Amino acid sequence: MDTSDYAELFLTESREHVSAVNHWLLQLERGAGGDEPVTAIFRAVHTVKGMSATMGYGVVAELSHEMESLLDRVRRKTMVITPEVMDVLFRAADVLEQAVEAAVAGDGDDVSAAPVLERLRAMGGVTPRAEAAIAPGPMDEQLWTAPAPEGTGRVVRVRLVKDTPLRGVRAFLVVQALGRLGEVTGVSPVLASLQANEFDLDFAVRLRTDALPAEIAGMVRSAGDVALVQVDERVRGTPPAATAIRQPPSEASAPAHAARHVRIDLRRLDALMNLIGELVITRGRLQQIGAQLGDPSLDETLAQASRLIGDLRDEIVTSRMVPVWQVFDRFPRLVRDAARGLGKQIDFTIEGKDIELDRSMLEEIGDPIVHLLRNAVDHGIEGPEGRERAGKAREGRLVLSAARDRSAVVIRVTDDGRGIDRVRVIEKARAAGLMDAAKPDLSDDELVRLVSRPGFSTAERVTDLSGRGVGLDAVLSRVRALGGSVDVKTQAGVGTTVTLRLPLTLAILRALLTRVDAELYAVPMTHVCETVELKSDRLRTLRGREVLTLREEVLPLLRLRDIVGLPRRAGEAREHVIVLELAERRAGLVVDGLAGQEEIVVKQYDPVRSHMQAFSGATILGDGAPALILDVSSLS
Amino acid sequence: MSHTVLICDDAIFMRTMVGDILQSAGFEIVGEAETGIQAVEKYKQLRPDLVTMDIVMPDMGGIDAVREIAKFDPQAKILMCSAMGQQALVVEAIQAGAKDFVVKPFQPSRVLEAVQRVLG
Repeated sequence: MDTSDYAELFLTESREHVSAVNHWLLQLERGAGGDEPVTAIFRAVHTVKGMSATMGYGVVAELSHEMESLLDRVRRKTMVITPEVMDVLFRAADVLEQAVEAAVAGDGDDVSAAPVLERLRAMGGVTPRAEAAIAPGPMDEQLWTAPAPEGTGRVVRVRLVKDTPLRGVRAFLVVQALGRLGEVTGVSPVLASLQANEFDLDFAVRLRTDALPAEIAGMVRSAGDVALVQVDERVRGTPPAATAIRQPPSEASAPAHAARHVRIDLRRLDALMNLIGELVITRGRLQQIGAQLGDPSLDETLAQASRLIGDLRDEIVTSRMVPVWQVFDRFPRLVRDAARGLGKQIDFTIEGKDIELDRSMLEEIGDPIVHLLRNAVDHGIEGPEGRERAGKAREGRLVLSAARDRSAVVIRVTDDGRGIDRVRVIEKARAAGLMDAAKPDLSDDELVRLVSRPGFSTAERVTDLSGRGVGLDAVLSRVRALGGSVDVKTQAGVGTTVTLRLPLTLAILRALLTRVDAELYAVPMTHVCETVELKSDRLRTLRGREVLTLREEVLPLLRLRDIVGLPRRAGEAREHVIVLELAERRAGLVVDGLAGQEEIVVKQYDPVRSHMQAFSGATILGDGAPALILDVSSLS
Repeated sequence: MSHTVLICDDAIFMRTMVGDILQSAGFEIVGEAETGIQAVEKYKQLRPDLVTMDIVMPDMGGIDAVREIAKFDPQAKILMCSAMGQQALVVEAIQAGAKDFVVKPFQPSRVLEAVQRVLG
């Protein structure tokens, strides 16, 4: 492990600790959990302090030190939590987060921590840094600042005596002494950092040995200047894999989740890697055979296949599924701050934190969700008085949930606010000429389509009253670009639910191949519910639209032939209906035939021609034929 | 029987000081060396129980001397005497075969603790 790996570990771990700090600050503010929040925050900042000092990140170390000092006072009951204290702590957590990122990026001095440091000091009183950093209080004895190193065997944690001369060399001697009992498989901080004094007083060694814990402790002490030694009872046997990021240093610092790391089942990853490896080998053979045969069409196909295999390999190597909490965890803070700013009371809950999404998908979806949450807080949920007048609880409810549904992930943002003001939207739509004056009302779908029109949503008058205008079009286009769909259900006075339906990954889709004439079109399985044969007796026309009755359900029908501009077939030709599932609606798509399922690699393309808007991209199929990918969410 | 010690340092002041500390604790100073080469020669000749070794010495430095002595006698018990800021050199000396170190300015108790560890 070189130092850059170490910086990355620092970053991963510090982010988690900052996230834990935020989580517990919210608990603390609510007055929930007794002493636990303070203790947990204390531990988290203490760990960050130790790590940042080790890494030489001065700003982070100073900030975490001051936070720790203040929390220590709270812990010792020499200080009480007031709204001002909460504000300073929240602010400090924000700056700490920035400082962590900046430090790792190499511009640690860019963060202006001075104002918040001053406020922390003014509240907590100045604690001389060296004293607090070195003198362990009763609780500190259980707090080890060095994380457990990688490797197999037992973890041996060592704390040197304060003021140990050349403590790096002393640590080196300890490691060397342990080496006499067995094999040292890992050291944290890494040996080079230890030798360079780049650690506080704590370090940890992983040792594979038959020696008993007492013998190990004795050996550590024999190296001299050892204040504390702790030998872990647990022995890790199997070597950790490169993709598994190690255990959290302190279980208590991770709220709500047992594990806060990216975890990939290695067997799955290995199996994939093996398969793709075999495939690459097979490709080589095929290319040889192709060269011998000298068949131009075979060569062409082989070249095609080679490229696809290369792409697939890259995807397997780089793709990582991560749990949504990695992004969702910052939302409670966001909602809290937004609500507080508006004087609203909101009970925000997150469900399905452990649902996994492709890492890049998750990153992309973060902003749209922020939009939706902000909308709910700004416009959806009413203030306490307004809610009381409407006969609701003073505290509004906001739920963000993630759930897996076949090859899709469904994300919902639900609030119990005032909903979209239908009357005002209709008024506005009529004024703008977007709606037939004779039409008395709008369906939910129509309403949503209206408010999410780019021009409509940004129009001043609607934004401040619709409660839903702002940014919904942005959310819609973003989610569609990701191959997903958006649905909004709203009821005036009761609340609004926005549902996003997303594919699991960006680059590789499982698609149902459908045929119209000789052309193939790919329909992402994310949106495919089932397929049925089209029987004429189930077909009806309702309000000028073709509909299909399927098990008591009436589905509007679309014809792929219409979409691609081909004439309908005459006579009794056999046709199939694909039942499409949008975020909350269903529809039937009539096609000539089905041609099986395939994993497809999405190629983005520029829909220059307007009628091509029904397609989100293109792909090259296994046989080398190109196919357009249907953008299901654009169908109406 | 008291342990025998060879003191290697180019400064008389330091040799004297280390000598005094060890003598007062009952050690027998059997020899002194001012250079690395001398240190190696005297070790072979005297076979002391303990060697105190300065890092920076003329003609052959302390680290090379440790290496030579360890080659001759892998069981040699060598205590490095270092100044602050010589961290990397001390590590190198330990890798070469030194058993422990003390840092100047010397505190008698620290020197004796280190000596006990080396001999223990």
